[in-house]
Amino acid sequence: MSIASPINLILLSLFVVLVYYHFRPKQPVTLPRGPPPVVFRTYTPKTLIEFNGENDRPVYLAVRGRVFDVSPGRNFYGPGGPYENFAGRDASRGLAHQSFDVEMLTQDLSAPLDDLKDLDEDQLENLQSWEERFSEKYLVVGKLVAEGDPEAPKS
Amino acid sequence: MADQLSILEQVDATMSNVLADWNIYTTVFAGILAAFALYSLVSSKDPDVHPFLLARQSTASPIRRSGESATYRSLETPYGFPLRSGLNVKDPGQPKYTAGRRGDLRDIWKAAVRGYLNPDGSPSGKQGKIFTALGRNAVQHSLSQVTQEINVVGQKLQKSGAKTVAVCLTDSVELLASIFAGAFYGFKTIIVPHNLPADTLCAHLQKCKADALIAEAGSLDLSLVARGNKQLELVLWVAKEGNRHMDWHDVPTEVKGTLKTSVWHELVEEYKDLAGLDVPEYDPTTPAPAVNTVWPSSDPSGEFIDFKAENLVAAIAALGSALPRDQRFTPSDLVLSIDSLSRSYPLLQIMNALYSNASIALNSVAGEKVDFALATLGVSPTVIIASSRTMSDYHERVMKPHTGPVSSLGRWVQARTLDAGNMPSKNIFSQIARVGPTSELSLDNLRLLCISHRVDAEPAVRLTSEQLTELRIFTDARIVYALTGPGIAGAIAQTNVFDYRCLTGPSHFGAPLSSTELTLTDVSESEASNDNLEGQITVSGPAVVDGKTTLSARARITIDNTLELC
Repeated sequence: MSIASPINLILLSLFVVLVYYHFRPKQPVTLPRGPPPVVFRTYTPKTLIEFNGENDRPVYLAVRGRVFDVSPGRNFYGPGGPYENFAGRDASRGLAHQSFDVEMLTQDLSAPLDDLKDLDEDQLENLQSWEERFSEKYLVVGKLVAEGDPEAPKS
Repeated sequence: MADQLSILEQVDATMSNVLADWNIYTTVFAGILAAFALYSLVSSKDPDVHPFLLARQSTASPIRRSGESATYRSLETPYGFPLRSGLNVKDPGQPKYTAGRRGDLRDIWKAAVRGYLNPDGSPSGKQGKIFTALGRNAVQHSLSQVTQEINVVGQKLQKSGAKTVAVCLTDSVELLASIFAGAFYGFKTIIVPHNLPADTLCAHLQKCKADALIAEAGSLDLSLVARGNKQLELVLWVAKEGNRHMDWHDVPTEVKGTLKTSVWHELVEEYKDLAGLDVPEYDPTTPAPAVNTVWPSSDPSGEFIDFKAENLVAAIAALGSALPRDQRFTPSDLVLSIDSLSRSYPLLQIMNALYSNASIALNSVAGEKVDFALATLGVSPTVIIASSRTMSDYHERVMKPHTGPVSSLGRWVQARTLDAGNMPSKNIFSQIARVGPTSELSLDNLRLLCISHRVDAEPAVRLTSEQLTELRIFTDARIVYALTGPGIAGAIAQTNVFDYRCLTGPSHFGAPLSSTELTLTDVSESEASNDNLEGQITVSGPAVVDGKTTLSARARITIDNTLELC
């Protein structure tokens, strides 16, 4: 009767393996980092127009000086969408008028921002409700100032 | 075909050869193996918390300012949701669906006196208790007794027209009563740390323009204090049991006539029948007065932190909700603070305990650096609130030198359980782990240690991950480890109570509380895209005085979205 018989050795090594698996150090779980945050920037109409969604760039639009990243709604606001005119532009007047025509945009990109002074009460209310919807749905990624504004970034 | 058969035959032959050697030893081995496999199977449990919740402990905002990191928030109040700003107090009779009030300190005392509510919302009439630990003994105070003291002292101070009351006491029932008296009777309370040199105290009183002072009888020279503080009108002495026979009404000759003195216990004795045992009526819409504390700083007189009632309740609510439901303070808990109540973290944890109807225990020796074993002697708490300095000192001085080979073995086995994400239960290994390191302690009921670290304390007292693991094993208690800073009520960030991971180096401080949000500022833009960016800690939210503060300390956000000091 021997203690070092093959079957004993087999059982012993099985035991060692089991003990190892029970006590082996466990590495804490790590998750990959999320996407890096977008930097809040100050845009002018000239720099904003680049973000019109062409060539897979993000789609931004501005409402009363706040720039929204509407890329999740690319089908609407991006190229080929019903509101594509607003991409990369100040959309305040268009939203207030419920009109998506080119006439609603300030054509001269160097001009001061549209002050919207001529809007009536209904239109302002309209604009307000659009703005609220945007703030709920989309991220504010910057603010829009006119070309030549002291806050505008120097190019 | 013949080949296959022969292979099978060979295997069969080998098997029977091997099995032929079966003997008594084999039976024993097989038994051990089966027993271990069974133990391994039975003892395996799901971790206390899902590992993914520890792998990302706070949420980052999707946007950041140039030169800053993203803003980090607790998982309870992610980006886009309002931060926790109050206790959500629902007055009886209010419909269930209405939003609760933010509440203030008065609601906390009212809730403590009311006692805990049965699940159906009816009061059970069982209150928590307050103990004062005096060496090996503990004195018990009932809450109605304390309410009486609040009423007597509050009315006295109100009548004398005091607007700002400085309280310079060791941790005691009188200190708590003074704070609540301030809330109910409308005077601002300044909690001044005790044991200060007379001229520092004098400077404090001048700075905060205190018109009344509550201090321990015999602990300071009145003529010195009175000379520098002409605005001081009333001094209320708190005499200890042993020296109540003395006459404390003596006033130095130069301020006779302008300065009055009273003695706490005489006052209570005299007016207790008039004041009554009921919590004073109050209008919850009127703002509660502020509570100031002193933050030790390089300036010898320290820095006054003007906590508004809103800051305090936001922090109390956040400290309460930071613990998972089954770990929160309950009426069966006894919460002992061995850290001074003049610091906001211990004070607000004690308030949280009172609001949860837990019993509390106070210790007059409590402070930032105390002997852990001596300070916990008189009572058997379930929760201890201590400073990182006290704990690191105890670990260095007692636990580490007393860890012998037997304790180390027990510690190793328990550390494996912690690694797997489970709090080890009391078993033979926990017994042998505790043989040396904590034999002098009598903390049989301890379940939670709340440790706070001052952001400007010296780095040597910062606890390492390994020290926290050892504290968990040797005290059999879960740990939350919080970072506190000047201007922030409660804590900036606090570790998850279920985070047992043993990482290398000094421990992180977990995620921000639900009443604060955290941004690293002064980050160089070249570094900002870097994963390990570091910057100055900027904290904002309802628990922060004036809404926002930037500390001088630098920190970084680790891969699991926790805060780590640089």
